[in-house]
Amino acid sequence: MNMDAFTPWLDALCGRIDGMVVACSDLAQRRSRIDLPSEELTTLLEAAKGEMGFVHLSAISCVDWIEEGEFELVYHLWSYEQNQLLSIHIRVARDLGRFQSVYDLYRPAGFFERDIHEMYGLYFEGAPDMEKFILTEWNGPPPMRKDFDSEAFVGETFDWQQYNPEWLQEIVAAGGGVVVPPTEQRFSQRKKVDGPDWSGDHPQAKRGQE
Amino acid sequence: MRAENYQQINHPPSHAFELNFGPNHPGIEGNYALQVQVEGDTVVQARADGGYLHRGFEKLMEQRLWIQNIALVPRICVPDPSPMEVCYSMAVEQIAGIEVPERAQWIRVMQLELSRIAAHLFTFGGHAATTGMYSPMFWGVADRDLILDLFEEFTGGRIYSIYNLPGGVRRELPEGFLQRVTDTLDYIESRLPDYDDLFFKNRVFIKRAKGVGVTEQAMALEYGVTGPNLRAAGLPFDVRRDDPYLVYEQLEFEVPTEEAGDAWARTLVRRSELIESIRIVRQVVAALPDIGGPLRTPIPNPLAWRVPAGESYARVESSKGELAYYVVSDGSEKPWRVHVRGPSSMHAVQVLEELVKGGRIEDVAQTMFSLDACPPEVDR
Repeated sequence: MNMDAFTPWLDALCGRIDGMVVACSDLAQRRSRIDLPSEELTTLLEAAKGEMGFVHLSAISCVDWIEEGEFELVYHLWSYEQNQLLSIHIRVARDLGRFQSVYDLYRPAGFFERDIHEMYGLYFEGAPDMEKFILTEWNGPPPMRKDFDSEAFVGETFDWQQYNPEWLQEIVAAGGGVVVPPTEQRFSQRKKVDGPDWSGDHPQAKRGQE
Repeated sequence: MRAENYQQINHPPSHAFELNFGPNHPGIEGNYALQVQVEGDTVVQARADGGYLHRGFEKLMEQRLWIQNIALVPRICVPDPSPMEVCYSMAVEQIAGIEVPERAQWIRVMQLELSRIAAHLFTFGGHAATTGMYSPMFWGVADRDLILDLFEEFTGGRIYSIYNLPGGVRRELPEGFLQRVTDTLDYIESRLPDYDDLFFKNRVFIKRAKGVGVTEQAMALEYGVTGPNLRAAGLPFDVRRDDPYLVYEQLEFEVPTEEAGDAWARTLVRRSELIESIRIVRQVVAALPDIGGPLRTPIPNPLAWRVPAGESYARVESSKGELAYYVVSDGSEKPWRVHVRGPSSMHAVQVLEELVKGGRIEDVAQTMFSLDACPPEVDR
């Protein structure tokens, strides 16, 4: 295989496809990144698959940029001929909620698009199967979206239970136990909910003050 | 699935019936289900049903510190957890621009290869059991346990090591550990002739496995199959060799292939890989005493560590195939997005549905085990 063909091909492609930007290309690390307007995706994929042997769709990743109101879709392609990984980044409007499927070109897209639809609510037109797969029992909003707060959801949906059995009380009374009160959990951003009462002379709470 | 949500697949004619493989079924790997439509003994249609082991890791990881996620990632694949933590660490290192000390890289290779040996032994056991041979299953599990003993000794955890962290590995190898690795490998290698007699060259097994679940190379490529399953179809691709990471470039190993692409070929590829892994670990054991230096590059206070904004796509070769982590940082204390590309998400869903079609009922379980499907990777 002609290993030197990749970079000229990439440069030539920029001229053929409007708005295509090669953000970085590191041949030694076998990683290249392309930013692309979303409507040019199919053109690029066809060229990559047909001309450079990018037959392996390694993954489609979805990133929710909520402040910009966009989903970023990243198509990771691998060429067995060139031994290069090509990451194609496109942006899709978050409100629109749909995009075209690439299943016709890449079968693995069937799984990834189904997964993105389930987790982000982005519908792919032309995909063979957009049914639920993992979250069969789930009727809430797509959970991987950034505006879905799973901790708040748990706080609203489920009751906190008082769990203070006798055996634990005995251990705590003897000065043992490894329970950390919620107020002491430094990195928890949990909302204040009705729960066990941790104020009091808990030995664990005192530990930090001594 | 709850009973009220059960839906029949199509409306089978009177001579066809439906069979639920899983979620509680001895012939299914892990918590997973296959709704199979059969006519007589022949499978007409199959539909994979996942989600029984969904724990929302990708969401959880967005809510935890970079360093806390190390404790989460190995749980994504139970039989082969080490590639998960190494791959995640590599992705974070790439974003943060951290160089891993050489000694840590060698130790990581040893950890990955030991994990591969353990995972393959486990798979042999499972595969044998689906063909009605239970002795290899006991052997596989028992010999895997010896590797777990090694893991317990040098990482502290038998299954989930949580031994890596961005920048390197946690602690030094115990004294005399390399000798014990050598002894264990010698023992496992000495067992291979027995495995051959009982399993790999067993006529019953060959007859059961030959011609089952054939993935030809074109189909494997089309469906995005990777790892041993792809190599069993004749394409010598291995991330370790073709997209090298850690110190694999300095190691000598073969990339075994088979042509047939059936359950039998896949098992043979794994058997050869096991031998190659033993070879790699031996090279690491020979090299490690001469490689000094620190075990990790210090990172800033891990509890308030802000990884610079950026993204990376790290890939490793796990025992199931190409494992990749796509990690995005927005410059905060927590990842903005972590996408886990489990190799099984290909061969446990679309490929499996395709392969069992037209086969016989008794080969459904075997097909799944021969593909080495790992449902937790699919569910995440």
